[in-house]
Parts: sequence; C-alpha cells; structure tokens
Amino acid sequence: MSTGQYNYSYIFKYIIIGDMGVGKSCLLHQFTEKKFMADCPHTIGVEFGTRIIEVAGQKIKLQIWDTAGQERFRAVTRSYYRGAAGALMVYDITRRSTYNHLSSWLTDTRTLTNPSTVIFLIGNKCDLEAQRDVTYEEAKQFADENGLMFVEASAKTGQNVEEAFLETARKIYQSIQDGRLDLNAAESGVQHKPSQPGRNTLNNDQQQNRYNKDNCAC
Amino acid sequence: MMPEKENILSKRLNKVLETRFENDQDTLDALKELSTFYGENTIQARRNLRSQIEKRSLEINQNFLASFREVKDVFDNVYQDVVEMSQSIEEMTTKLKNAKAQTKQLLERTRQLQEESVKNDMKQTVSKAFLEKFQLTPEEVVILHGSKHKRDVTISEEIFVVLEKVQKIHADCKILLQAEHQKLALDIMDQMTLHQEGALERLYRWSQNYCRNVDNPEFTELVTRAMGCLQTRPVLFKNVLNEYCSSRRGVLAGEFIDALTRGGPSGNPAPIEMRAHDPQIYITDILVWLNKAIPIEKRNLDLLVKTCNKEELKEILDEALANICEGICQPLQIRIDKILNISIDASILYAVTNLIRYYKKSIGKITQGGLLNTVLEEMQTKSEQIFLLALQNQVNNALVRVEAPPRDLSPTSSIHHLISLLRDMLSTASMSEGREIDMIKIAQCVVDPLLRAVNEQASRLPPTDMAVYTLNCMYSLYTCLSLYEFMDEKIERLQAQSDAQVDTLTSEQASNLVANMNLGPIYTILQDHSHGPLSSIPGMEPSNLRNFLGKLDSVISAPDTVLLPQINLLASSTHKKVIQKRAFEVLLAIYKQLYEGVHNPVNMYENPNSILNRTPEDLSKMLMS
Ligand SMILES: Nc1nc2c(ncn2[C@@H]2O[C@H](COP(=O)(O)OP(=O)(O)OP(=O)(O)O)[C@@H](O)[C@H]2O)c(=O)[nH]1
Ligand SMILES: [Mg+2]
Repeated sequence: MSTGQYNYSYIFKYIIIGDMGVGKSCLLHQFTEKKFMADCPHTIGVEFGTRIIEVAGQKIKLQIWDTAGQERFRAVTRSYYRGAAGALMVYDITRRSTYNHLSSWLTDTRTLTNPSTVIFLIGNKCDLEAQRDVTYEEAKQFADENGLMFVEASAKTGQNVEEAFLETARKIYQSIQDGRLDLNAAESGVQHKPSQPGRNTLNNDQQQNRYNKDNCAC
Repeated sequence: MMPEKENILSKRLNKVLETRFENDQDTLDALKELSTFYGENTIQARRNLRSQIEKRSLEINQNFLASFREVKDVFDNVYQDVVEMSQSIEEMTTKLKNAKAQTKQLLERTRQLQEESVKNDMKQTVSKAFLEKFQLTPEEVVILHGSKHKRDVTISEEIFVVLEKVQKIHADCKILLQAEHQKLALDIMDQMTLHQEGALERLYRWSQNYCRNVDNPEFTELVTRAMGCLQTRPVLFKNVLNEYCSSRRGVLAGEFIDALTRGGPSGNPAPIEMRAHDPQIYITDILVWLNKAIPIEKRNLDLLVKTCNKEELKEILDEALANICEGICQPLQIRIDKILNISIDASILYAVTNLIRYYKKSIGKITQGGLLNTVLEEMQTKSEQIFLLALQNQVNNALVRVEAPPRDLSPTSSIHHLISLLRDMLSTASMSEGREIDMIKIAQCVVDPLLRAVNEQASRLPPTDMAVYTLNCMYSLYTCLSLYEFMDEKIERLQAQSDAQVDTLTSEQASNLVANMNLGPIYTILQDHSHGPLSSIPGMEPSNLRNFLGKLDSVISAPDTVLLPQINLLASSTHKKVIQKRAFEVLLAIYKQLYEGVHNPVNMYENPNSILNRTPEDLSKMLMS
C-alpha cells in the first residue's frame, strides 16, 4: 500500500439528495470525473465517489454518497445522512415538482444530520434555460429563508459544479476552524487524519489476512 | 815613338811573357799535334809549316766533307723513309680515327640496347605481376560467370575465392588511383565491377532457386556463403530472403494445419483438434505448437544468414520471420475466435485470456511487428473483452431475480455465490501478469452490481434488519477483497458504507437500550434544569432510581441479553462489539449525568451513595470489559 493515498489531512463526508432524475449522479460524476453521463441509470440505493480537494492549503478527501431519489430507497439512504458533514440538496430547474419536494428533503436532512452539517442547495440543469420551471429568485429566497447556500448548476456543462462542492468544503472547514464542529463526535462527518484501514468498524481481525496471499504468490 | 804604341807592345809582350803554357791544355794539345808533323825546326820547315798546316786542315776538311756526304745521303734516305712512314702513319691514324669513331657509336648502341633489354625484362616482370594482380585468369572468369556455352547453373566453392579476388582487385585499384594511374585504375575498376555484378547476379539466381525449394532447411556452406555475398546487394538479398520466406510460409502453414487436423506421423501426437471441446487444452496445444515452431523458423533463418553481417540485418530478419509466420495467422485466428465464441464460463475465458497473453508475450520475444503479433494482440483484446462481458453476464444472471435475504440476515445464496466467484477470479488474477488492471476490472465487474443488488434486497427490509443485512454483505465482501492488493478503492467504499450501517445500528441499539431501561424520561428530566431539586420530580424518586439500578445490574451480569436480536446476527464480532460498546457509552453518559445529579447536594437526595453505589468509573469497567 502506498502512503500516497493518505496525503490528505481530513476526510469530509457528503451526501447528495433530491428527487429522482434531478441529476445527482451526474453532478457527482462531473465532479469526480469531469465528464457528463448522458444516459445515467437510476441509482440503486447509494453510489460512492471520492475526490481529494484543497481548501486553505489543506488537502481534504471528500467521500460522497450519491443517494437514490426513488422513494423505495428512502430507508436505505437514511443511513448515510448521519455521518454527513455536507449535504448537497438538488432539484431540477425544469421540473417544479422536484423543487416543491425540497421542504421534505430539508426536513429529513435536518432531522437526520447534526446541526453543523452544511446544506447546499443546487438548482441543476441550468443549461436547459428554455425549459426553466423554477426561477432563480424564488429558489434563492427559499435558500435564504432556510439558511442554505445556493447555486444553479449544470452537470452537463459543468457550470458551478466544482464551486458547489468546494464552497461546501470551505464552509465545513470554516466550522472546524471556528470550533463549531466537534471532530471527535462520531457523527460530525469529518475525520481528522485518515483512519488506519479497518480502524473502526471493519474487523481488525481481518487485517492480518490482507495480502498474505499476494505475498506467497510472488 | 809614340808612347802609346810602345805601351801596347809592351802589354802584349808582357802578356806573352806572362803566359804560362804549362797550364793551358789547348795549347798543350796543339803543341802535341804539331809535334807529329813538324820534326825539324828549319826555315824551310818554318816556311812550310803554314802551308803544311793549311794543307793538313784542307785534307781534314775534305775528309770531313766526304764523311758528311755519306752521312747526309744516309740521312736523306732516312728522311725519305721517315717521310714515307709519316705519311703512312698519317693515313693509318686517319683510318684509325675513323675506325675509332665508328666503334664508339656501335658501343653506344649496344649499351643502349642492353639497357633497354634490362628495362624490358623489368617491364615484362612487372606486367606479368600486374596482370596477375589486377586481372582474372580465363579459368577464373569461367568460375565466376560459368561457361558461356553451357549456360552453367551450378556454382562451386571457388566462385567465392574468385569473387574475393575481384573485390580485392577493385580495392587495390584505389591504390593505383593514388599512384596516378587513374585511367588504368578506373578501367580495371569498371571491369571488376562488371565481374562482380555478373557473379552476384549468378549467385542471386542460384540462391533464389535454392531457397525456392527448401522443404527441410539444411543449408549448405554454399548457400550461406552466397547469402553473405549477396548482403551487399540489399535488393537481391531481400528477394532471395523473400523467396525463402514465402516457401517457408507455405510449409509452416501446412504443418500447422496438419498438427491441428492430422497429428504427427501415424497419429502421434494426436491431432490438436481432437481436444477442441476443452477450450483451455485446445488453446494451450495450439499456442504451444506455435511457440515451438516459430523459434525453429527463427533458428533456420539465422542459419541461412550466418555469414552475413548481423548488425544490419535485425530489421530484415524480424520482417522475414514475421513474413514466414503470416501463413498461420488465418487458421489461428479462426480457431481462437471459435473458442472465444463458444465458451460461456468467465473463469475459463479468463484462463484462455491468460494463455493468450502468456504466449503472445512469449512469441512476441521471438517475432515482432508482424501480422501474427497483430492477430495475437487482437485476440488478446478480444478475449479480455469477451471475458469481461461473460463475467458481467454471469453477474447479471445471478442477480436477475431479487432474492429476499434469509432469516439469519446472511448474504443470499446469489450474493454468496458471486462473492466466491469474485474470490476465485481475483485469486487467479492475482497470479497473472498485469494483475492490477485485471483485478480492478474484475472487482469493478462484480462489486458494483453486487452492491446494487444488496441495496435492492436491503431496501425491502425493516431498518434494523436492513442495516444488519447490508453490514453482513459488506463484511463478506470485505473479507474477500481484503485478501488482495489493489482493492483499496473498493475497500474504502465498503468501509464507508459499513461505518454508516454501524452508526445506524449503534443509534438503534442505544435507543433500544435506553427505552428498555426506562431511561427515556430520566434522560429528559436531566436535560431540563428548570425544575428545582431532582429528588422532588416525579420519576426521579430514589425508589424509581433503584428500579433502574436493578435493570442496570441485570445488564451488567449479562451484557449480551440487552442487544437487539439482529445485532447477534452480525457476522463480524467486531461490528457487534463496536455497536455494543457505543450503545453502552450512551448508557454510561446518561448514568454519569444521573450520578452527578444525585450526588449534587442541590438535588437534595439523602444518602446518595445508598441510591447509586456504583461510580461511573466502576460501571464503565464493568460494561466495557
Ligand atoms: N441537460 C441536462 N441534463 C442533465 C443534467 N444533469 C443530469 N441530466 C440528465 O438527467 C437524467 C437523470 O440524471 P441522474 O444523474 O441519473 O439523476 P439522479 O438524480 O441521479 O437520479 P436517481 O439516481 O434516480 O435519483 C440523466 O438522463 C441525465 O443525463 C444537466 O445538468 N443538464
Ligand atoms: Mg442517481
């Protein structure tokens, strides 16, 4: 194992939520791979993505849960709110229903995450200006009323995607600096220095087995 | 008298008187002579003396004259003779002079001729040497070009000797050139070039013909040396090589087909296609055959050019070997295609892929840059693709039906099956070359659909079951992946997903514990500081607290009994312990608050130690041990 994978000082956990089809998986993919997936299948349960970013000269690893918007996975996805330091709440600017559901998403987020979780509202698909169904202003007002950060973005063109993820990280980092975020709380969604592999939940007793096979095979 | 006269006389007298005759020899002689005829001193005698003397003198002179006349005559004769002699001599001298002049010319010519003769001899020697050195003998010409009449096609070893000579002459001409024999040198060079071209042309035809008919290459010295000579003419050399290659190409392809369909002599070894039903054996046999046959071709090719300069040949030989191998490409491709198209099992396809990779590499060390390499490369890529497709299919087929997780919340049989498939594939892949990419692709192929299936299955369960089932599947998958390198990315995800499930279960377990111990109301009261002394609040009476302590004791005596039943279904004891520990930590935190509250005089508990006798530290030790 290279030590290179540990060249970051924090892990921030994110969760991306919102109705199905609003483009959550596309946003994640755009952020991690810098590519747009035109034909993205519905997410089954959760998907996972990571990327190392830099905030204030600190390397931070983002571990991002992309959740399924489909109702039937709501119970499955709830597990992933708890440890989130950042929540990206996404709606589709061309579908008002997805905007209308935001309050219910917000309620879920507020109850399942801890108070210091940074919530960022993203109005996705802003490239489809012609089909706009939700104005910027009303969404902005909603965000302000609820103390959320907000941008309109496009997973297709990549517009504001980077900004949304990075801005969230900056806000989290700021909370750490301000001492508002307790790093030791299990549910802060932030780990200072990466854990040793298998440190907490995945069986330490398996550790010694790792690579045994490879060692003798070489 | 005159004194003077007197004086002269006296002088003379004196002189006579003074003369001493005894001392004068002439006088003495004269006197002696006189005595012979003057005997008496008489006047007569004296008078006669004079005439006598004169007579005597005349007589003497006459005698003298006569004598001299004789002498003169003799002298005259002598003179005459001498004159004549002189004349003769003169003539002779002239003659001699002439003769002498003539002889000199002759000598001169002779000398010249002699010199010339020596020079000519030299020249002849030189010419002969020169001819020997700078020209071919007629025999040599025949050796070189064959007899004109017979259209000689066979060649002999001697041709190389002569050819070498031709080349040497050509090279020596350069010295001539420097020695200012330019015209000659150039002429000879032209001549030698012609000889050489002619001879090479002849060697070329001969070699080409030879190579056209090599079934079993056992090269003679002749052909290898011919190749050595032809190397200086790249076009000819390549043509011969091409002839050889196309001949061998046909033979090799034929042998390959024979090995496939007919086998060795009298069926031993058996034809490879006899075992075509077993893809692994079939492809191994095919590739082993190639891996054996191609080095032989390479060795033969090397033998053919063994006298050549190898440095310049690398590329040409590579090309030639590739050329030879071209014939087997099509039958090979057809067969591999067939294997790839009939096999359905991913693990067999993976084995086939690895065999192709191995032999592609092995063969690639012998022959490069040819069609065979391209075909093997294509086959490898195709095999890799088909393998991954087959694996995907296999995974999809296994997951096509959403199974309900069993009661014990262990992975369903299809999940279990896929994990063991993954383990098998990874274990094979971890020993293959380029394993990192393979392993990552295999994991990608299996893990992602598998996790989706687990999510799908879990989504149909109640929350606690869902978390336990998910965690059990993650654990099982983790156990598999953690054995191998390069799985960090997947493991990170499993870790994160497991953490989330553990957190969920911890929270469930903690709430359950709190509820079971009726700690809920106590906890709520403890948070609220507006009530005044705790002891006066309903539910916080010592009796009620003792009730709680009773429950706490039973927890301490049997910590496992308070666990949610599903927690006991966790496959990982570590997971179980972590969840239990964290739930107890919640319990401990509340107990600590309660303990401090009871012991705080403000709350007016009487004898707090009798109510809560355990310190939080004691309790911690008991619960966490
Ligand atoms: N024009 C446009 N299309 C987008 C954009 N983002 C996503 N899409 C399309 O919207 C569809 C749904 O995107 P997904 O990313 O799968 O949506 P999701 O939120 O992950 O959906 P679930 O996984 O079912 O919850 C896909 O066909 C995308 O191609 C965008 O910014 N612009
Ligand atoms: Mg999605």
